[in-house]
Amino acid sequence: MTEPAQLSDQERADLVAYLDGELSGEAARAVEAKLSLNPAFRAEADALRRTWELLDFLPRPQPSARFTHRTMERLSPLRTGEQRWRDRWRASCLGLGWAAALLLAGWGGYAGYNRLVSREPGEPELLRDLRIIENKRMYDRIENLDFWQALDSPDLFGNEASNS
Amino acid sequence: MSATGESSTQLALRDPDIRLMLRVRDDDAAAFAELVELYQQRLVAVMNHLVGNAEEAEDLAQEVFLRVYRSRKKYRPRSKFSTWLFTIANNLAFNALRSRRRKPFVSLPAQDSGPLGPRPAEQIIRDRGSGPMQRLQRQELAGLIRRALEGLNERQRMAVVLNKFEDMNYAEIAAVMGLTTKGVKSLLSRARMNLRAALSSYIFMDGEPAPEAEDEE
Repeated sequence: MTEPAQLSDQERADLVAYLDGELSGEAARAVEAKLSLNPAFRAEADALRRTWELLDFLPRPQPSARFTHRTMERLSPLRTGEQRWRDRWRASCLGLGWAAALLLAGWGGYAGYNRLVSREPGEPELLRDLRIIENKRMYDRIENLDFWQALDSPDLFGNEASNS
Repeated sequence: MSATGESSTQLALRDPDIRLMLRVRDDDAAAFAELVELYQQRLVAVMNHLVGNAEEAEDLAQEVFLRVYRSRKKYRPRSKFSTWLFTIANNLAFNALRSRRRKPFVSLPAQDSGPLGPRPAEQIIRDRGSGPMQRLQRQELAGLIRRALEGLNERQRMAVVLNKFEDMNYAEIAAVMGLTTKGVKSLLSRARMNLRAALSSYIFMDGEPAPEAEDEE
């Protein structure tokens, strides 16, 4: 049984990284120098390497023979669910598309009709609004309705209006 | 672009598994079965080393594949396919271990003969060459090593398993575990030190004398 050498965390981390082939340049050369000069460091490196090699004794667990089959079996409900969702989505899209097309067609027809068939006022409507049409130029001069209503008040012109 | 500056196309050209995954993304069920065939052994092995239970390891490996399938539409090749796969495995394994911690898990104690007889490693040296006996001793040694591995914390164990059994370098482990390369270096250093402490009785069992540290003087 060998006791771990007294190394700082940084020294040990560098040593492990060196053993893993993860050190390069200056850091690798520093570890190599320590390995050649310091037997305790060398012993620690050897112990770490041997410990790592011991892991090779662990068996490589194998999946069961039916692993792929069972995985694909677990996949089928997922795929069915996805397919169902896709079908539902497609049906909804189709329904919405039809509804949008109908709305668009209705609106287009209405707008087209209004544009193509311009509506001229008929004779009864002209007769009904005759007074307004005749006085339109006057009405245009009135700034607001209150003023127009005030013109109708007898107090405004007094007797002058009735005498004339 | 990937962390190494390669475009997705370049990565896909170099990594055949990315091409396979892109077929899975396009709903090719046969490509998915091929992917399962290709990675099942590695995934089950990694999961087994992490959770220490063959049945649970298979369930977890299957769950990893199902997650791959579920997230196939979001897949964008940014690194090696195996890095992406093992990132999913890493997350899933940690979740499983966390939920297991909430439910107490009883593990059998180590059967070290100790005072009752020779230690397995000593016995191996003695019985070297005897077929069935050697196999038995190898199993015992494997049991000891497995327990030493289980003695590491989850992150150390994951880093060790990826480094040792998946041959991943520090940068790849960092990508899988969401750490920096420096963090992985420190994690592996502590893991190796813990393993060395736990297995110190067995590292010179092949008959070679242990190097003498007092040579220093």
